[in-house]
Parts: sequence; structure tokens; C-alpha cells
Amino acid sequence: MTHLDPSSTGLARRDFLKVSATAAAGMSLGFFWPTHGNAAETPKLNAWIEIQTDDTVIIRYARTEMGQGSRTSAPMLVADELEADWKKVRIEYATAHENLRTKRAYGDMATVGSRTIRNSQEYLRKAGATAREMLIAAAAAQWGVPASECTAALGKVSHAASKRSLSYGKLAAAAAKLEAPKEVKLKDPKDWKIIGKSLPRVDIPDIVTGKIRYGIDAQVPGMMYAAVAASPVFNGKVKSLDASKVENRRGIVKVLNMGEFVAVVANNWWRAKEALREVAIDWETGDNGQLTSAVIMNSFKAGMGQAELAVARNDGNTVQALGTAAKVLEAEYFTPYLAHATMEPMVCTAWLQGDKLDVWTSTQNPENTLAVAAATAGVAQDKVTVHPMQLGGGLGRKSPQDFTRQGVMIAKAMAGTPVKMVWSREEDMQHDLYRPASLVRFKGGMDNDGKVQALHIRVSAPSILATLLRLPLPKGVDGQAVASFNDHPYDIPNSLVDYAQRNTNVPVGFWRTVGHSQNPYMRECFIDEMALAAGKDPLAFRLANLGQKSPRDVAILQAVAKAADWGGPLPKGVFRGIAETEGYGSYTACVCEVSVSDKGDVKIHRVVIGIDPGYAVNPDNIEAQLQGSVVHGLSAIFWGEMTIKDGRIEQSNFHDYRMMRLNEMPVVKAVIAPTGGFWGGVGEPAQAPLAPALCNAIAAASGKRIRSLPLKNHGMSLKA
Amino acid sequence: MAQARFDMPAQVRAGEVFKLRLLVQHPMETGYLLDLNNRRIARNVINDLRCTYLGQEVFRIEPSSGLSANPYVEFFLRATQTGEITIDWVDDRGERGQVKRTLTVV
Amino acid sequence: MTTPPAALRRDWLRASLGATAWAAGRATFARVLGGALGLGSLPTAQAQGMLSGKLLSLSEMLDPIVAGAPVVRAGVHIETLILADNGLSVPFRVWVDSPMTAQDHVTHIWLLSQRNPVMVMAKIHVGPQMGRAELSTRLRLAGGQQLVALARLSSGQFRYELADLIVTEAGCVDGS
Repeated sequence: MTHLDPSSTGLARRDFLKVSATAAAGMSLGFFWPTHGNAAETPKLNAWIEIQTDDTVIIRYARTEMGQGSRTSAPMLVADELEADWKKVRIEYATAHENLRTKRAYGDMATVGSRTIRNSQEYLRKAGATAREMLIAAAAAQWGVPASECTAALGKVSHAASKRSLSYGKLAAAAAKLEAPKEVKLKDPKDWKIIGKSLPRVDIPDIVTGKIRYGIDAQVPGMMYAAVAASPVFNGKVKSLDASKVENRRGIVKVLNMGEFVAVVANNWWRAKEALREVAIDWETGDNGQLTSAVIMNSFKAGMGQAELAVARNDGNTVQALGTAAKVLEAEYFTPYLAHATMEPMVCTAWLQGDKLDVWTSTQNPENTLAVAAATAGVAQDKVTVHPMQLGGGLGRKSPQDFTRQGVMIAKAMAGTPVKMVWSREEDMQHDLYRPASLVRFKGGMDNDGKVQALHIRVSAPSILATLLRLPLPKGVDGQAVASFNDHPYDIPNSLVDYAQRNTNVPVGFWRTVGHSQNPYMRECFIDEMALAAGKDPLAFRLANLGQKSPRDVAILQAVAKAADWGGPLPKGVFRGIAETEGYGSYTACVCEVSVSDKGDVKIHRVVIGIDPGYAVNPDNIEAQLQGSVVHGLSAIFWGEMTIKDGRIEQSNFHDYRMMRLNEMPVVKAVIAPTGGFWGGVGEPAQAPLAPALCNAIAAASGKRIRSLPLKNHGMSLKA
Repeated sequence: MAQARFDMPAQVRAGEVFKLRLLVQHPMETGYLLDLNNRRIARNVINDLRCTYLGQEVFRIEPSSGLSANPYVEFFLRATQTGEITIDWVDDRGERGQVKRTLTVV
Repeated sequence: MTTPPAALRRDWLRASLGATAWAAGRATFARVLGGALGLGSLPTAQAQGMLSGKLLSLSEMLDPIVAGAPVVRAGVHIETLILADNGLSVPFRVWVDSPMTAQDHVTHIWLLSQRNPVMVMAKIHVGPQMGRAELSTRLRLAGGQQLVALARLSSGQFRYELADLIVTEAGCVDGS
């Protein structure tokens, strides 16, 4: 199979089609590459838009798709301003190597932080508007009429007065020659025709039929397979290994000692994986084999009492105010380490040919893949091609490139041969970058009217930024560790948030919703504790304490409470819990309706979950994200916990890291309440209010206050 | 004394501008990281590095934590006459290092 | 988690003065010619609440050093990566157009960081004996940011150039 270079325009169309037919037998590269071979046929109006003579509009998508739907929503932003006919839109990836070549014409490619839409919406809409103006100008020039008399809609420019119209396909060549206007006026949201519509995600048919290509599906003729094992005790190195049992086995090509990991390369993955189990590896782990969950908890507790603390927020005089408050409440909360457990484990297929490197992997940041791959292989960055693939789940795991580093190291050792490296589920579960565990102490002081006067929150937890990213922390504060504490929306005159950085040998990273995956649970549960101590209804208490300063928090809280009929009648034994939080630029709230049996079976009758993301680009996709957040969240809330013994993670697969089952799924009512005027994220924020709403409902139902997760540790289970 | 690798031509023509390269083994601790016991590792960087040629200071760099660990510096000098080239450096702890080499100018 | 001393020593021993990574990466360096890039004064990495530090504006970076003297974006050249996989060791080369005579030479070069906790990464004292106002080094960067090379001439005038650098690993926290 020839290596197809998308940037070569010299390839004749017929030759290209011939080659792509043979390519289909192997890797379906053609799926991602333009089927046009001649640049003159498909003029580029700008980096984002190409229009073919048959009116097909190719819109580039520069981030990645991992089920969050941005590959559909982001191009919708372009298409709306462009006034394209969505039925004629085809979405294609912008690649990392193309971004490098054009000095980042596509901007940021990192698909993290729920920020694809909110960070790119302005320049994407501008790209669409700019191209639209150029198409209108081309038509006006051709007709000899003022552009102001022309309108664009559904892929056509029309001149009403003379009843003439031309489709984009006919105008593109001329439009592409024009100079792009420096200023364009973007549409008022009320004029949106595509944005705001529940358009079906473009990748769903291929997902359902199995045509979609995930990173794990990469096929390169002549490919070998690698199974890897890194030290089960984190940060261990290979001291010695004995591969004599497997070296000469059928199909085994090579056993590689890479220092930080061992790889077995074979002609199929099963052979590689089975052989790896019989390679005797002696790991050098130092003292790290002594680490246990109990040792870690002691370290967190020591942090609670340590003298040097980083201050994340300091309003008024909290210590003094707590001393004089009428009612003081204190509570300690704990959340555990969590694994990402993406359905698709870590994979990387890499092929080093001389000074040229090809990489196929599931990554949330193709530029990071490119830079890490180049540095690892020791080749120039412009000689690295990162092939876009769909991700079988990202959840924040696939932004760091530890797996790419491994895959490229193997490819370098096997130079000339493509190698597909795949992690087993056990390897994936035990070599994750875990959601950090966190110990948090709350102390709240109220007056006799139930108004919170002082709130002191102390966090003792690892720092992702300092350990994974090795970034200096401004004033010693890791924003993720104190998220939703240091920026809480409540109108409290005295707030103190401090942080004790307690790193352990357990590697930590960005789990979906990051700091907001645990802190809002704790905060909103403690708010409920204070509400109950003050004898107030949890909703009324929140509204009274949010005051005037946080209108959007109030709005979403009220929208969800209304949708859940908060305060309205419930069947016997059914109780409600509520929570609200902000995060990733959006505002979210949740109400759970549960009943709890004496045995601890929790029946969730309904989850009402809502979000205000400013603007709702694709409501159906937002609803899917809300539902998906409930699934992902409930799994973690009921069973999610990584425990450490002898320096290693005890859990290894889904038998001891349980996921929710289909029949356990509760009814979810989605409330999408965009208030406009800002752009907030959707991929992560919806998970934040779920745990506190659920635990508050459980407390109302059972009288049991849940101050640590998962629920299984409290003898509770999810009833189908 | 910290180890260093120093590269410069042994011999140059008078008036020629030649390249000097220096790689010093030094952790350049930023002071922002914690050790394995969660205690802050004190800042310690090379804060002053000077090059002397024929008894005169001809180049000086004052790094901060913004230079990477194992700092690398490459700079140029114009050769006038044969003489000793010395590069001295000192870190926040006061520990010193030096490389010295004779430049032959023909 | 700090790099243990043994690992640093290993890296140091492995690093040759003509490091392959440096040489190999040269082809993809952004050669920023004076004034040609029109990057503007807007920071390309927008600070979100939890980022590794506030992003300084260009004037916040230049004013403390320039202190009102004339400053122009010309005659200074930067060669560095567009994409760095991590910020720990980023190759950086700067040179200033100058005859480097006793009457007309560069006196100082500052390497300035938009985002690092310490803005001045290095202050270099330059003189005519150097023959060339040029320096190569390796920077440590707290995430993607704009870098500024500021030069002072013997005339008292200041010249500068800036380069945008993306640290891909820090993509999780850096804005776009």
C-alpha cells in the first residue's frame, strides 16, 4: 500500500481513486481523506471551508471525537454563518501535521476542558461568515449588481430583484480568488438556522454499522503487535528480565526491555499478551511497594494539620466569624481515586521509516501526539504524520501521551516495521492517571436566620498540575484541587479556602469533570447539612444564600427545581435531593428522587438534570451528554474506588471496578435552559451536581449522611 | 564542583568570530516542587555565569528558574590573541564551577 | 514529584553538545523574522481560572525594563519550536542585527516569559568582543505562552521580537 500524502496535489484524480480502492482493502484511510485529488476542483475559501463543484461543502474539524458530539456541533457553527445546506456538508479532520505546516491555522486541537465549542465558536463562525461574504461578492460581481442586494441561504446566493441565483459550487472558484473581508458581522442568535437544531450526529450511522475506525482498529499491512507491561508498583524500573521461556515461541518476534516497561512484539496480539505473562520481570521499586490506601489517608490527614498551606480564597475574617457564629457545623468528606476505564484501552500504532514517522492512535490532543512522537523517535516534527482516528472514549485519559511514548519507542526499536501496541484491560486499569483522592474539611458558621456568615474549606489532596504537568502553582494553589470551593457562588461574607498539597506515588490526571467531579459533591452536601441544621428547605436555603450575586446559578437551580416539581407531592417513601454548581463556564443543577430500603437498596425513581450553557448548539446532543453524565456519574458514585495495597492498584478489570448495567438506568429528565450571552461547556459540567443531589436525597430518605464515596462502602447498592 | 562539558575550537585565526558551547550538570531547582515527603525543595539555580578572555569579562548571563535543568549555553567571541578562556558560574547556594581552556590564535 | 538526581545525571550524560533532538528539530523551528509575523499583542493562550499563572501583556513585560526608552519590534530574531511536547527543556536561539563595534553594539539581551512565575528567564550582558549578538540556550516554560527577546543597544534604544510557543502537554489547562 502506498503511503498517501494528503498534501500532494499532483496526484491525478483517477490515480487517486485507483489507489484509494486498494487502500480500502487495508486501512480505510480514504474515510478521512478528501476524495478530491485536484485542488482546482475544490477551492479553499479559507482553512476551514472547501466547496466542490457539485455543491458539497467540506468543513474541517480540528479537534477529536470521543462520543461528545463536537465533530457535529463545531461544523454546525461554520455551516450556519456560511448559510450552507447541511445536507450537503461533509466534515473532515484537520490534521496535526497540517496545523504545524500552516503555523497553526486551525488553532488549538486539544479536546479537553469542555471547551471545543466555547473556545472555537468565534473563529469558526467568523470563518463561515467570511466565506459567505466572499461567495456573495463573487455572485454580485458576476451579475454586476451590488452585493447588498444579494442574499445567501441553503447553499445558494440569490438576487431577488432579477430572480437569479447561483449555487455555491458554481461560485466557489471565483470566491476563492477574492480577498477575504477583514471584518464580518456575525448573526444574532435569533437568526440562527442550524445552530440550535437537534441535528443527528454525523458519525452515528458508522458507529452503529461498525464502519467507524477507532484508534484500536488501525491496520497497516505487515504490522506486528505489541503487548506491554509497566511496573505494577508505580514508577518502578526493570531490574532484570528473563524471556527465555517465550523468546523462541511461534510468532514471537522480540522481547524489549525499555527500562520503564517491557514489550513483547509478536505477529498477533494474543500471542504477545500470553507470552508477556510468562516473561519473568524483576522490578526495582524502591520503597514504593510499602504504599497502601491507609498510608495515603494518613498523609492526607497530616496535610489537614500542616502549618504551610496555600490560600486559594480569603474573604473577610473567616476564623473570627466562625468564632462568633450562632451555629457552627463541621464535617469531613472524602472521595477516592478513580480510573477512567475508557471502553477502548490505550493504543498506539506507529511506523518509523527512516526519518519519517506515522502514528495511528486515539488521542485527545493530536498536536501533543505529534510533539511527543517526534521527540521520542528523534525525528523532525514535520516528518511526523498523526492520522486522525475516532476515540473509543477519552474522558481525559487520552490527552497525556504516555502510551504514544511507549508505542513510538517500540516502533523505533522495530524500525521499518509498523507495530500496533495495545494495552490489556488490566494494564489499562492499573496504569491509569487516576482522578485524585481528596480529603476535605468544612466548617460553616450561620446566624440564627440560616444565613451562612462564614465558610472555611480545607483541602488535602494531590496536585495534578504539579505532578503530571510539572507546572509551578501560582501561590501554591492547584485550581483543580479547590475547584468550586475557591469560586463558590454563595454570598458568604467570610470565606477561607486553603490547600495542603499531598502528592503520593499514585499518578494522577484529568478524569472527566476533574475537580468538579468531587468538590461539588462535598460542597453541596455540606450546604444541605447546614440547611437542615438551620431547619430550612434545601432549595430555599440555597436561594437565600446565593443572594443577588449569582443570578445564573439561581436561574438553573429554579429551572431544575420547577421541572422536578420540588416541594410537590411524592409517593410514600420517595424523597428528593437537590444540588447546584457551576463549572466549565456553564451552570448546572440536579434533583434526584429516591427511595432507600432498610437493606440499603437505593432505587432512583428519577434524575432531573439541567444545564445552562449559554447557547445550546445541538440540544439533542446536550441531552445525550446529560444522560451520559448520569451513567458515568452513577457508576462512580455507587462503586468507583481504586484501592492501593503493596504499592499497587488492587482493581484490575470490570469485575472489581463495576460499571452500571442497562437495567439499572433511571429515568432522566433533561432540562436545557440556555440564558444566552455567554458560551459554556457541556461535555463535563453536567456530572457535577449529580452526586450531591443523589446523596442529599439518600440522606432525606434514610437519615444517613453520606460523607464519602463510593456508596457501596456504606452498604448501599443501586436497585434496578 | 559541578561537571561541565565545554566545546570551543582549539585554534582560530585572529579576528575570527568563533562559537563556544557549554553544558553544565545542575538541577536548576525552581523551588516550586515538593519532594517525596511533600516538603518544598528549595530553589537553587545557577544565577550568574561569566566568561573571561584575556583577563576581561566578555560575556555574562544571569539565569533564573526559566532556564532548564542541566543548562546549555551557546555564544560567540571574537578572537584577538592567544590566551586563556575561563567560564565561571555560581548558584544560589554559593557553589561554584569553572571551565578553563587555552585559545590559540594564529 | 521531582526528578531524582540519578535521572538528571543520566539525561545530562546522554545529552551531547550537538544533541540529535536539537538538530533533528531544526527543520520545524519557527524562524521568526523581525516584525514579519504580526502576532499582535493579544495573548494566544487565554488564562482560565486554574491555569499556571496570569498571562502578562506585552507592555507588562517590556515596561519594567525599558522604562520609557524607545522600543521597536525590529532587528531581533528568534528561532524556537512552534510545538514543544513539554515545557521542561525548550531550545531557544536569539540573535540581534548589529555591527558589534565599539560604537554600535548590543549591550544586553533579556529573555522574557509571559507566564512563568519569574518573568526574566535570563539577562545576558553583551559586548563588542562577542562579535555576534547571539545566544542559544534551553528554556523551562510553565505552559504555552509568548516569549519575548528584548535587546538594548549601545545607543540606548531597545528592540524586541516575540514568538508564540505551544506546550502541548499543558494543553489540558492552557486555553486556545
